[in-house]
Amino acid sequence: MPTAPEGDQTLTAQYTKATDPTRAAPPVCPVLCRRPRVSNPSSSNPPSGSGNPLVSDADIRFLLGDVFDVASLLELPAFEAHSVETVDMYLATIRRFSREQLYPAYQLMDRAPPQLIDGRVHVHPLAKKLFAQLVDLGVLTADRSEDVGGFQLPSLVTSAAMLLMMAANLAAVGYVSLTSGAAHLIEVFGDDALRASLMVPMYAGRWAGTMALTEPDAGSSLADLRTAATPTDQGHYLLRGTKIFISGGDQDITENLVHLTLARIDGAPAGIKGVSLFAVPARRPTADGLVYNDVYASQLIHKIGTRGLASVGLTYGDQGDCRGWLVGPENRGMSCMFQLMNEARISVGVEGAAAASVAYHEALAYARARPQGRPMADRDPTSPQRPILVHADVRRLLLRQKAIVEGGIALVLKTAQLADLATHTPDGPERARLGLLLGLLTPVCKSFPAERGLEANSLAMQVHGGYGYTSEYPVESWWRDQRLNSIHEGTTGIQGLDLLGRKVMADRGAAVQVLGGEMTRSVEAAMAIGVEASWCAQLGGALRDVGETTRALGDKAAQGDAAGMLLHSADYLEAFSIVVVAWLWLDMATAAARRLAQTPNAPFYLGKRQAARYYFATELPKAGHLLQLCRDAEPSYGDMQDAWF
Amino acid sequence: MKILVTAKRVTDPNAKLVIDDDGSWIDDDVEYILNPFCENAVECALQLAADHDAETIAVGIGDEEVQRYIRQGALARGIDRGIHVEADEQELDSDLIAKILKALVEKESPDLVVLGKQAVDGDSNQVGQLLAEMLGWPQATFASDVKIEGDEVIVTREVDGGLEKLAVTLPAVITADLRLNDPRYASLAGIMKAKRKPLEELELDDLDLDGEEPKVRVVKLHEPTGRSAGVFVADVDELILKLTTEARVL
Ligand SMILES: Cc1cc2nc3c(=O)[nH]c(=O)nc-3n(C[C@H](O)[C@H](O)[C@H](O)COP(=O)(O)OP(=O)(O)OC[C@H]3O[C@@H](n4cnc5c(N)ncnc54)[C@H](O)[C@@H]3O)c2cc1C
Ligand SMILES: Cc1cc2nc3c(=O)[nH]c(=O)nc-3n(C[C@H](O)[C@H](O)[C@H](O)COP(=O)(O)OP(=O)(O)OC[C@H]3O[C@@H](n4cnc5c(N)ncnc54)[C@H](O)[C@@H]3O)c2cc1C
Repeated sequence: MPTAPEGDQTLTAQYTKATDPTRAAPPVCPVLCRRPRVSNPSSSNPPSGSGNPLVSDADIRFLLGDVFDVASLLELPAFEAHSVETVDMYLATIRRFSREQLYPAYQLMDRAPPQLIDGRVHVHPLAKKLFAQLVDLGVLTADRSEDVGGFQLPSLVTSAAMLLMMAANLAAVGYVSLTSGAAHLIEVFGDDALRASLMVPMYAGRWAGTMALTEPDAGSSLADLRTAATPTDQGHYLLRGTKIFISGGDQDITENLVHLTLARIDGAPAGIKGVSLFAVPARRPTADGLVYNDVYASQLIHKIGTRGLASVGLTYGDQGDCRGWLVGPENRGMSCMFQLMNEARISVGVEGAAAASVAYHEALAYARARPQGRPMADRDPTSPQRPILVHADVRRLLLRQKAIVEGGIALVLKTAQLADLATHTPDGPERARLGLLLGLLTPVCKSFPAERGLEANSLAMQVHGGYGYTSEYPVESWWRDQRLNSIHEGTTGIQGLDLLGRKVMADRGAAVQVLGGEMTRSVEAAMAIGVEASWCAQLGGALRDVGETTRALGDKAAQGDAAGMLLHSADYLEAFSIVVVAWLWLDMATAAARRLAQTPNAPFYLGKRQAARYYFATELPKAGHLLQLCRDAEPSYGDMQDAWF
Repeated sequence: MKILVTAKRVTDPNAKLVIDDDGSWIDDDVEYILNPFCENAVECALQLAADHDAETIAVGIGDEEVQRYIRQGALARGIDRGIHVEADEQELDSDLIAKILKALVEKESPDLVVLGKQAVDGDSNQVGQLLAEMLGWPQATFASDVKIEGDEVIVTREVDGGLEKLAVTLPAVITADLRLNDPRYASLAGIMKAKRKPLEELELDDLDLDGEEPKVRVVKLHEPTGRSAGVFVADVDELILKLTTEARVL
């Protein structure tokens, strides 16, 4: 028998069968769930994990169909080639490919990371096979414009697909998404010649790409980067310098790769204003074919997670002949990067939500199968032990994960939908309004799934007891993978500064106004369908609290105390994220209430409502406390002295 | 050259089917997949078409929903066009399905018909054989390898105790086994193309089969009885004893 079946788990079905109560049952299939190998925990069988759904099909169906209304998004002229049917088919393919191909390779790739041999990186053979398959499926250009041979699917849809793929095997997909992102920079900012010579082979999947920003002395502070670019009279620049942590920086999957590299043109101004973007092929195309371009992997980084994806140090221009081509205007490298930063940051959010999701489903299956102890009411020692799911505390572990995972998935899909709307909405002012909201949610999307997702991964491990702490069970590996997400693409600290220092304060808080308007609309819709009034009131209160705190912080800045305003930026980010996710939980509760009005006993929607209840009862109240710290400029760490540590 | 291939929708073997009190199953809320053996048949047709420049046609029989499985399971993978024959699936048996396929063969005149060796819902394993008989064509079932050489198909079959190699003359009927190939995934390019591929809709009376009755009627369905719990045995001797006296397998 073939493995994971493609069920009739479609959006079309979501629309047409809204009244079927049993259809709402979540698709987790207990028959397939791996039973804990508790009788022999030291068995040498590699855990296959087959049967893990990675991401709940019912949840994706619910979010795309009921909450984010993909059908109306598809009515935008940009998406006219698509219909709910094509979206369904694409997700069905990706779901199956993720479960049948990507997931079984995950642990093998994790356990045999790439190796640096004689200056070249050698990856796991499965990474090569999967790269080719992903390219064949069309993943590389799924959301790219038709003008460059892409399929122009909405990010909402490709993000849902990415959730599945990243939950299955982040590393394997990494080579593809990096290539797509790097080619996109050339597509948007490169000239025709660069597009023809470099972008085309990248989008075809013959070459790969990387994002080469970080240097040993310039991580968070990219303004301090030192890689140098010397102009020549032949149109190219000669690059010299060192980059570090470059994901996919070398591999033996594709015949060539192109490093989208930030560097400083000789004589350029100091700081961010002197940074330019270059396309630097590892092997440059010449009349005689591909020729070594004097850039190589000088170091392979040994990581605790995302181990299947090579991270390397790159050395440019050892022999003085590393040629790079300027992408976009001189000294505008950072602004080019930033224009596509949303994409990259949403992608990190997807990674975070995905790593938490796969672990949650593993933990859920484990809790259903692991007998240990008896419920409070049944203390008869001769009765058989019951699955740990019967214990209230284990349900706490699981419900908290559900609230984080499904809240995080809603957040990344919401942000992706905003990215679609902010790009493709025909009406200019509306597009601008949605653009503001997108900017505001991007640091939240980047950091919430990473931060709370790590907690969820830890809870998944907790459900596994001692077994979760061993490498015999896969939960520990997702915890290791997840740990990266609060570090790369701008640490959580940097996201806090971005949110409070830039996004919130810009245009006198215009973006927060937009968010407030959206939340108010959500509250009205929730009230109308009869969602708990107390949740609506709570969210309204939290919104006011955010508004007042933001104004107070704005006043501080106006009085010249920028440091005081930003002192609690991390707390502000956390509080803000809690409120944003509460808003999304309210939207989900509203959509669930509509379904429950027709099918009062549908477990999937009852589960949604219960997770919303949990979030409002336990998580949202935390925001008030954090916002208080911001308003008070609570001084403990601000005033802490080096010598006192 | 023209190849006709079946794309049958089946209930998901992993889905929980509900049977009501009078022993018929409740079909309004069932998860479906394309029959896995039909996926092998589709893949076989695609590979042969690539090598022999054939036109490929996928057939699905059932209610309107079947069209999705024709598009997704066959057209998106690369089959050229589809035919959907509208019928009530509860009112079909292997015989009637074979008659429908025969009528389609007469309409389309394919050189080869490739079917799944069976469908994983009914497990009847009859349609290919019946169709060959009705058409008077040679058949090769349980194919694990298929090659076209001249006007013959060379088919390797999985039989008890080994492999059997047959040469059958075209036109012929072949049924696919799981080991025949690894069905490809539908690519995004394939999905976009599938939207525009022709999918013809036919009624039974378009095929002069109106009023045909199935020969087999399902009388009653019931769930399999649950398995009883296992027991621990003290040692190998007890195990052997139990296998001999209770299980009677030794
Ligand atoms: C696995 C992995 C893959 C990566 N992939 C890539 C890649 O493909 N391309 C690429 O260019 N880079 C990549 N990176 C690099 C990554 O983006 C950097 O690690 C990250 O930007 C942080 O820089 P850093 O490591 O130098 O830390 P630092 O900048 O030294 O930061 C250390 C700590 O100080 C804090 N900090 C620093 N400055 C400030 C400030 N101004 N205010 C408040 N706090 C501050 C940070 O928040 C952090 O907690 C990758 C990193 C890893 C680990
Ligand atoms: C590195 C390591 C070293 C260890 N060293 C020792 C040692 O030296 N000696 C020794 O004897 N043991 C040792 N242990 C075992 C350790 O004490 C057990 O792993 C631990 O007691 C949990 O038991 P378990 O792993 O069977 O998890 P389980 O008991 O199966 O627990 C799984 C989950 O269910 C929850 N749960 C279980 N029952 C209930 C309940 N009634 N109510 C609420 N929640 C419940 C747990 O909190 C946990 O989240 C070690 C374990 C590890 C990982």
